[in-house]
Amino acid sequence: MKSLFFAIVFKELKSFMRSAALVAVVLYSFTIDIYVAGEGIDIEPRNVAVGYVDNSGGGISKKILSNLHSPEFVAPVQFLSQKELSNAIYNKEIMVGLVFDNDFEKLYREKKNTQLNVLLDATSASQGFTTLMYLQSILLSFEDIQIPLELKIHKLFNQNSDNKSFMALSELLSLITMLVVILTAIVFVKEKEDGTWDIMLLMPIDAKLTILAKTLSQVIIVMGGVILSLGFVIFGMFDTPMNGSFWSFIFLTFLYTFSSAGIGLFVAAIAKDVMQVAQFSIVIMIPLIFLSGAWTPVYTMHPFFQVLSFFSPLRYYIEGSESIFYRGTPFLDLYPYYFGVMILGFILYIIGFKKIGRLF
Amino acid sequence: MKSFVRFSVIKAFVHKELTELVRTKLIIMVYMMPSMVTILFGYGIAMDVTHSRISIIDNDNSKYSSELISKFSHSKYFDVTLTHESEAEALEAIKKAQSDIVLIIPSSFEKNLLKGQKSELGVFIDAAFANRASTMQNYVQGVIQSAATTSAPMITLNTRTLFNQAMRDEDAIVPGLIGLVLLVAPAILTALLIVKEKEKGTIFNFYASPIGKLEFLIAKLLPVFMLHSLNIFILFIWATYLFDVPFRGSFFLYWLSSEIYILISLSIGMLISIIAKRQIVAVVLTVIITILPAFLYSGMLMPISSMQGISWVEAHIFPVMYYNHILYDTFLIGQGFDSPKIVLYLCILIGYVVALLGLGALFLKKEMR
Repeated sequence: MKSLFFAIVFKELKSFMRSAALVAVVLYSFTIDIYVAGEGIDIEPRNVAVGYVDNSGGGISKKILSNLHSPEFVAPVQFLSQKELSNAIYNKEIMVGLVFDNDFEKLYREKKNTQLNVLLDATSASQGFTTLMYLQSILLSFEDIQIPLELKIHKLFNQNSDNKSFMALSELLSLITMLVVILTAIVFVKEKEDGTWDIMLLMPIDAKLTILAKTLSQVIIVMGGVILSLGFVIFGMFDTPMNGSFWSFIFLTFLYTFSSAGIGLFVAAIAKDVMQVAQFSIVIMIPLIFLSGAWTPVYTMHPFFQVLSFFSPLRYYIEGSESIFYRGTPFLDLYPYYFGVMILGFILYIIGFKKIGRLF
Repeated sequence: MKSFVRFSVIKAFVHKELTELVRTKLIIMVYMMPSMVTILFGYGIAMDVTHSRISIIDNDNSKYSSELISKFSHSKYFDVTLTHESEAEALEAIKKAQSDIVLIIPSSFEKNLLKGQKSELGVFIDAAFANRASTMQNYVQGVIQSAATTSAPMITLNTRTLFNQAMRDEDAIVPGLIGLVLLVAPAILTALLIVKEKEKGTIFNFYASPIGKLEFLIAKLLPVFMLHSLNIFILFIWATYLFDVPFRGSFFLYWLSSEIYILISLSIGMLISIIAKRQIVAVVLTVIITILPAFLYSGMLMPISSMQGISWVEAHIFPVMYYNHILYDTFLIGQGFDSPKIVLYLCILIGYVVALLGLGALFLKKEMR
């Protein structure tokens, strides 16, 4: 029994290793792809391109402009007319335009109400809002207006709210989902397509054993990728904090990959060929990712979606992983996540056994 | 050797491919997947953080402190709970992900304010989701700043928000989703078209038949191109009617650039299909190289003008940026062909099509390897 089980696992691993292209693609995904995702994006306004037209000809405007500095802003670019400035904004070369009117300096010196005109490209709404906030507080500090309140802000778990490690980690989590579902589904569908699966089922081996061995082989491949990626990219390139225990993350990942392989099994059950696998797995995975709370927190969703989100294993996995990495939740307090992933996985395997483990 | 492209041959092939797509029910997927992605993510991605759960510990219980609290309860960004827990208990709730922010008002709050002394407010924010934390921090600062500035500042900002006046998330995201979907969906479909025949062995029909290379490629790509062209209109309807995204530009430009973009996507899929030997490689490769760039370089998450270094270079290598520039223009801005930059970007997109199709024709071999 046991030797048979491992024979199947090794056979699948070997056939994976034989395809150099496949190995290369999986390696690429777990290293470079994650690096690019982490390196590429900053959701907070950084290097905001500012342009200005200065008709006031005075020192005050220069003083205000000198407050716009890195990392939030790149050095402001001067334009000669408002038309040129708005052209640059329309062409998306500039995100914020400041226009100092003729009487700007005069009014300010006379201590009258002074207006600073701002043109803001609000295509990405939240960045626009944050940039406005920055401008407002720059003006306040410029005018030296005292606010009788002082805010002492503590960011818990990720003090400098380092976005890079966060993006890299999110990419890793969704990559795990994508790869394990597609790889597992294709392992089965390939045999279905070639007709070898029926022969497997006719052999005197328990079909469940074959199915488990085959999924385990794909889980091993993905786990290998996860470890590579943790070592080289997540901890190697980005200083991702690890406030919890490394092994509880590995354990949670193992449970999660196994239950996601169940999704792959389900896809394999309904798909007839690889083409259908590609389409089905995307159609199934997108709601899973959507319901996981990776993009919007679960509590802000429509109540109906909130209920549905209990059925996304990715939800437990993401919340669990964030807790391990950032919040440092101890192993035993993570039990809801382990159970959530395990129960969903169990259900998926039962469906998979029933649908795949019989002759067509 | 290469003769003219014979339309009767292509017609027969297209007919065969279409029949296959209909028979395998893939045609449902061609229309289901793009609409599903657009609708789910259109509703799903909110960059704005609303309803952050803020617990306020009011140690002062004075008129001023309750005024401050009411500022928070009137904001759509916060769901306020007043607690009488200790600081440690409130922090424990953040750790269990039951609350996002804890605000602590000190006991001498009103007294200090009346005396004109500074009082310190403690704010604790769950920063496990980094960007959400920064947004929440800004909102908290905004509320407190506006509550605290008693003397009106002399310089007021006269802000004109362009393109997205109401600062709606939908306006910012839905056009980007069209750019995402039209890159990923056609590519996945074509990625398998040729490699499938290789794996099954039916590619020998092509090797042995008198059909030309170019005819073969056109026959493979044309059905997918025609089917996905309809998606341009379907997605437009979702964007403008379901999500109420304004459309200010020229529809012709939208249609033209989208057709070109679909051609690019098809060619990417086709190149993968020609190079890959196994279907599994083709599927994984397509998913990896289309989905991530389509998100990163869409301008949805981060304006291209703020990118620097590697990400700036990569953004310019992938076609997503050029198409999305045109896309956002047609929806939100409306310069159309008047802008030289848009004409340039359109030419770049056409350049991509020519280059990718040329590479495909170069790599496709009409013989056994």
